[in-house]
Amino acid sequence: MRLLIVDDSSIMRRIIEKNLKDYDIQIIGMAPDGQTALQLVKEHMPDVITLDITMPGMDGLACLDEIMAVHPKAKVMIITALSDKLTGLRALDKGARGFLYKPVNAVDLAKAFDRLLKRNENKQGRV
Amino acid sequence: MKTSKAEFDATCNLFINSVNNYFRHLTEIDSELNVPYLKQSEGLMLKDYTGMIGISGNRKGFVYISANRDMYEDLIKIFIGIDDPSDEDILDMAGEISNVVAGNVRANLGANFMISVPVVFKGMPSQLKIPDDVSIYVVPIMWNNHEAFVVIGLQ
Repeated sequence: MRLLIVDDSSIMRRIIEKNLKDYDIQIIGMAPDGQTALQLVKEHMPDVITLDITMPGMDGLACLDEIMAVHPKAKVMIITALSDKLTGLRALDKGARGFLYKPVNAVDLAKAFDRLLKRNENKQGRV
Repeated sequence: MKTSKAEFDATCNLFINSVNNYFRHLTEIDSELNVPYLKQSEGLMLKDYTGMIGISGNRKGFVYISANRDMYEDLIKIFIGIDDPSDEDILDMAGEISNVVAGNVRANLGANFMISVPVVFKGMPSQLKIPDDVSIYVVPIMWNNHEAFVVIGLQ
Protein backbone atom coordinates (compact mmCIF):
# COMPACT_ATOMS: atom_id res chain seq x y z
CA MET A 1 0.00 0.00 0.00
CA ARG A 2 1.24 3.46 -0.85
CA LEU A 3 0.24 6.26 1.51
CA LEU A 4 0.05 10.04 1.25
CA ILE A 5 -0.20 12.00 4.52
CA VAL A 6 -1.91 15.41 4.33
CA ASP A 7 -1.94 17.71 7.35
CA ASP A 8 -0.86 21.31 7.84
CA SER A 9 0.87 20.33 11.10
CA SER A 10 4.35 18.93 10.62
CA ILE A 11 4.14 17.32 14.06
CA MET A 12 0.88 15.61 13.14
CA ARG A 13 2.32 14.32 9.85
CA ARG A 14 5.23 12.81 11.76
CA ILE A 15 2.91 11.30 14.41
CA ILE A 16 1.00 9.49 11.67
CA GLU A 17 4.23 8.41 9.96
CA LYS A 18 5.72 7.10 13.22
CA ASN A 19 2.65 5.15 14.21
CA LEU A 20 2.24 3.45 10.84
CA LYS A 21 5.87 2.44 10.38
CA ASP A 22 5.19 -1.19 11.30
CA TYR A 23 2.55 -1.54 8.62
CA ASP A 24 3.39 -2.74 5.15
CA ILE A 25 2.93 0.79 3.87
CA GLN A 26 5.18 2.92 1.70
CA ILE A 27 4.79 6.61 2.44
CA ILE A 28 5.02 8.29 -0.95
CA GLY A 29 4.76 11.84 0.36
CA MET A 30 3.53 14.32 2.91
CA ALA A 31 1.65 17.49 2.10
CA PRO A 32 0.92 20.54 4.27
CA ASP A 33 -2.07 21.74 2.24
CA GLY A 34 -4.70 20.64 -0.23
CA GLN A 35 -3.01 22.03 -3.33
CA THR A 36 0.24 20.18 -2.68
CA ALA A 37 -1.72 17.05 -1.84
CA LEU A 38 -3.55 17.17 -5.14
CA GLN A 39 -0.28 17.44 -7.08
CA LEU A 40 1.10 14.41 -5.23
CA VAL A 41 -2.09 12.44 -5.85
CA LYS A 42 -1.84 13.11 -9.59
CA GLU A 43 1.84 12.15 -9.65
CA HIS A 44 1.74 9.03 -7.46
CA MET A 45 -1.90 7.83 -7.33
CA PRO A 46 -1.52 6.60 -3.72
CA ASP A 47 -3.72 3.76 -2.49
CA VAL A 48 -4.42 5.39 0.87
CA ILE A 49 -4.56 9.06 1.87
CA THR A 50 -4.89 10.52 5.36
CA LEU A 51 -6.47 13.94 5.00
CA ASP A 52 -6.84 16.78 7.49
CA ILE A 53 -9.71 19.23 6.96
CA THR A 54 -8.66 22.54 8.52
CA MET A 55 -5.76 23.65 6.36
CA PRO A 56 -4.72 26.96 4.79
CA GLY A 57 -5.87 27.53 1.23
CA MET A 58 -7.80 24.55 -0.10
CA ASP A 59 -9.32 22.78 2.90
CA GLY A 60 -9.64 19.03 3.24
CA LEU A 61 -13.25 18.74 2.08
CA ALA A 62 -12.54 20.71 -1.11
CA CYS A 63 -9.40 18.64 -1.59
CA LEU A 64 -11.42 15.45 -1.15
CA ASP A 65 -13.71 16.48 -4.01
CA GLU A 66 -10.68 17.03 -6.25
CA ILE A 67 -9.06 13.76 -5.21
CA MET A 68 -12.23 11.78 -5.93
CA ALA A 69 -12.42 13.42 -9.36
CA VAL A 70 -8.94 12.30 -10.38
CA HIS A 71 -8.47 9.15 -8.29
CA PRO A 72 -11.81 7.72 -7.16
CA LYS A 73 -10.27 4.42 -6.01
CA ALA A 74 -8.16 6.15 -3.34
CA LYS A 75 -9.05 5.12 0.19
CA VAL A 76 -9.23 8.43 2.02
CA MET A 77 -9.24 8.58 5.79
CA ILE A 78 -10.14 11.95 7.24
CA ILE A 79 -8.19 12.82 10.40
CA THR A 80 -9.53 16.07 11.82
CA ALA A 81 -10.20 18.00 15.00
CA LEU A 82 -13.62 19.07 13.67
CA SER A 83 -15.64 16.65 15.74
CA ASP A 84 -19.21 17.56 14.78
CA LYS A 85 -21.36 14.91 13.11
CA LEU A 86 -22.20 17.02 10.06
CA THR A 87 -18.57 17.33 8.99
CA GLY A 88 -18.12 13.58 9.29
CA LEU A 89 -21.23 12.86 7.27
CA ARG A 90 -20.21 15.36 4.59
CA ALA A 91 -16.79 13.73 4.28
CA LEU A 92 -18.26 10.24 3.98
CA ASP A 93 -20.78 11.51 1.45
CA LYS A 94 -17.93 12.91 -0.64
CA GLY A 95 -16.20 9.55 -0.75
CA ALA A 96 -14.03 9.25 2.38
CA ARG A 97 -13.71 5.63 3.56
CA GLY A 98 -12.87 6.45 7.17
CA PHE A 99 -13.05 9.22 9.69
CA LEU A 100 -10.96 9.81 12.79
CA TYR A 101 -11.28 12.63 15.29
CA LYS A 102 -8.18 14.23 16.75
CA PRO A 103 -6.64 13.89 19.23
CA VAL A 104 -5.47 10.54 17.88
CA ASN A 105 -3.07 8.19 19.61
CA ALA A 106 -1.33 5.07 18.33
CA VAL A 107 -4.25 2.80 19.24
CA ASP A 108 -6.76 5.02 17.43
CA LEU A 109 -4.64 5.01 14.29
CA ALA A 110 -4.09 1.26 14.40
CA LYS A 111 -7.79 0.50 14.78
CA ALA A 112 -8.70 2.93 12.01
CA PHE A 113 -6.11 1.51 9.61
CA ASP A 114 -7.09 -2.04 10.46
CA ARG A 115 -10.65 -1.18 9.50
CA LEU A 116 -9.60 0.74 6.42
CA LEU A 117 -7.30 -1.97 5.14
CA LYS A 118 -9.68 -4.72 6.27
CA ARG A 119 -7.01 -6.34 8.34
CA ASN A 120 -7.53 -8.73 11.22
CA GLU A 121 -6.64 -7.18 14.55
CA ASN A 122 -4.18 -9.96 15.34
CA LYS A 123 -2.40 -9.75 12.03
CA GLN A 124 1.32 -8.97 12.11
CA GLY A 125 2.11 -5.32 11.74
CA ARG A 126 -0.49 -3.95 14.07
CA VAL A 127 0.90 -0.97 15.99
CA MET B 1 -25.13 38.98 18.78
CA LYS B 2 -23.51 39.10 22.20
CA THR B 3 -23.11 35.82 24.04
CA SER B 4 -25.19 35.57 27.24
CA LYS B 5 -23.40 34.81 30.50
CA ALA B 6 -24.88 31.32 30.61
CA GLU B 7 -23.73 30.62 27.04
CA PHE B 8 -20.32 32.08 27.81
CA ASP B 9 -19.89 29.88 30.89
CA ALA B 10 -21.09 26.80 29.04
CA THR B 11 -18.73 27.45 26.12
CA CYS B 12 -15.79 27.98 28.47
CA ASN B 13 -16.56 24.65 30.13
CA LEU B 14 -16.50 22.95 26.74
CA PHE B 15 -13.02 24.33 26.13
CA ILE B 16 -11.84 23.21 29.56
CA ASN B 17 -13.17 19.69 28.93
CA SER B 18 -11.52 19.68 25.53
CA VAL B 19 -8.14 20.62 27.01
CA ASN B 20 -8.44 17.93 29.68
CA ASN B 21 -9.34 15.34 27.08
CA TYR B 22 -6.40 16.32 24.87
CA PHE B 23 -3.80 15.71 27.57
CA ARG B 24 -5.45 12.62 29.04
CA HIS B 25 -6.01 10.90 25.71
CA LEU B 26 -2.58 11.56 24.25
CA THR B 27 -0.32 11.48 27.29
CA GLU B 28 -2.27 9.59 29.97
CA ILE B 29 -1.31 12.45 32.29
CA ASP B 30 -4.22 14.56 33.47
CA SER B 31 -4.08 18.32 33.36
CA GLU B 32 -5.02 20.14 36.55
CA LEU B 33 -7.24 23.14 36.47
CA ASN B 34 -6.34 26.14 38.61
CA VAL B 35 -8.86 28.81 39.50
CA PRO B 36 -10.20 30.42 36.30
CA TYR B 37 -10.92 34.12 36.27
CA LEU B 38 -12.35 36.83 34.07
CA LYS B 39 -9.65 39.09 32.80
CA GLN B 40 -10.39 42.73 33.48
CA SER B 41 -7.20 44.59 32.64
CA GLU B 42 -5.62 45.22 29.26
CA GLY B 43 -2.86 43.07 27.85
CA LEU B 44 -2.58 39.38 27.12
CA MET B 45 -1.70 36.51 29.41
CA LEU B 46 1.15 34.93 27.49
CA LYS B 47 3.89 32.39 27.99
CA ASP B 48 6.68 31.89 25.46
CA TYR B 49 4.78 30.17 22.63
CA THR B 50 1.14 30.56 21.68
CA GLY B 51 -1.34 29.03 19.27
CA MET B 52 -4.48 31.07 18.64
CA ILE B 53 -7.70 30.14 16.85
CA GLY B 54 -10.24 32.65 15.57
CA ILE B 55 -13.89 31.76 16.14
CA SER B 56 -16.75 32.78 13.87
CA GLY B 57 -20.27 31.62 13.06
CA ASN B 58 -22.66 31.19 15.98
CA ARG B 59 -19.97 32.39 18.42
CA LYS B 60 -17.40 35.07 17.73
CA GLY B 61 -14.04 35.52 19.38
CA PHE B 62 -10.88 33.53 19.88
CA VAL B 63 -9.20 30.93 22.00
CA TYR B 64 -5.50 30.58 22.57
CA ILE B 65 -3.23 28.25 24.49
CA SER B 66 0.08 29.62 25.66
CA ALA B 67 2.89 27.72 27.34
CA ASN B 68 6.62 27.76 27.76
CA ARG B 69 8.95 25.80 25.54
CA ASP B 70 9.51 22.96 28.01
CA MET B 71 5.86 21.89 27.93
CA TYR B 72 5.85 21.64 24.14
CA GLU B 73 9.21 19.83 24.25
CA ASP B 74 7.72 17.22 26.58
CA LEU B 75 4.72 16.70 24.30
CA ILE B 76 6.87 16.39 21.18
CA LYS B 77 9.13 13.93 22.98
CA ILE B 78 6.09 11.80 23.87
CA PHE B 79 4.54 12.04 20.42
CA ILE B 80 7.48 11.56 18.07
CA GLY B 81 10.52 10.97 20.27
CA ILE B 82 12.47 14.11 19.36
CA ASP B 83 14.66 15.51 22.14
CA ASP B 84 15.64 18.86 20.65
CA PRO B 85 12.77 20.20 18.55
CA SER B 86 13.28 23.31 16.46
CA ASP B 87 11.44 26.56 17.10
CA GLU B 88 9.34 25.67 14.07
CA ASP B 89 8.35 22.39 15.71
CA ILE B 90 7.46 24.16 18.96
CA LEU B 91 5.23 26.65 17.13
CA ASP B 92 3.66 23.83 15.12
CA MET B 93 2.89 21.98 18.36
CA ALA B 94 1.34 25.12 19.84
CA GLY B 95 -0.86 25.53 16.78
CA GLU B 96 -1.93 21.89 16.69
CA ILE B 97 -3.01 21.82 20.35
CA SER B 98 -5.13 24.95 19.90
CA ASN B 99 -6.60 23.52 16.68
CA VAL B 100 -7.61 20.26 18.33
CA VAL B 101 -8.98 21.91 21.47
CA ALA B 102 -11.10 24.35 19.45
CA GLY B 103 -12.18 21.78 16.86
CA ASN B 104 -13.39 19.33 19.49
CA VAL B 105 -15.81 21.92 20.86
CA ARG B 106 -17.78 21.47 17.63
CA ALA B 107 -18.93 18.09 18.95
CA ASN B 108 -21.25 20.09 21.19
CA LEU B 109 -21.73 23.35 19.32
CA GLY B 110 -22.02 21.96 15.80
CA ALA B 111 -20.65 22.99 12.43
CA ASN B 112 -21.78 26.61 12.81
CA PHE B 113 -19.08 27.01 15.41
CA MET B 114 -16.39 27.85 12.87
CA ILE B 115 -12.68 27.94 13.57
CA SER B 116 -9.73 29.39 11.71
CA VAL B 117 -6.42 27.76 10.99
CA PRO B 118 -4.05 28.41 13.90
CA VAL B 119 -2.06 31.62 14.22
CA VAL B 120 1.15 30.89 16.10
CA PHE B 121 3.65 33.23 17.66
CA LYS B 122 6.60 33.38 19.98
CA GLY B 123 6.61 36.01 22.72
CA MET B 124 4.42 39.06 22.33
CA PRO B 125 3.20 39.60 18.77
CA SER B 126 3.59 43.15 17.49
CA GLN B 127 0.38 43.26 15.47
CA LEU B 128 -2.19 41.29 17.42
CA LYS B 129 -5.45 43.16 17.96
CA ILE B 130 -7.91 41.88 20.55
CA PRO B 131 -11.43 43.30 20.04
CA ASP B 132 -12.75 45.54 22.84
CA ASP B 133 -16.14 43.83 22.97
CA VAL B 134 -15.04 40.38 24.09
CA SER B 135 -15.23 38.90 27.57
CA ILE B 136 -11.97 37.17 28.34
CA TYR B 137 -11.73 34.12 30.56
CA VAL B 138 -8.33 32.89 31.69
CA VAL B 139 -7.93 29.25 32.67
CA PRO B 140 -4.53 28.43 34.16
CA ILE B 141 -3.72 24.74 33.88
CA MET B 142 -0.88 22.51 35.01
CA TRP B 143 0.21 19.53 32.98
CA ASN B 144 3.22 17.43 33.93
CA ASN B 145 4.47 20.29 36.16
CA HIS B 146 4.19 22.84 33.35
CA GLU B 147 1.86 25.81 33.62
CA ALA B 148 -0.11 26.94 30.59
CA PHE B 149 -2.88 29.44 29.97
CA VAL B 150 -6.05 28.64 28.09
CA VAL B 151 -7.59 32.00 27.24
CA ILE B 152 -11.07 32.24 25.80
CA GLY B 153 -12.42 35.50 24.39
CA LEU B 154 -16.05 35.63 23.26
CA GLN B 155 -18.31 38.47 22.20
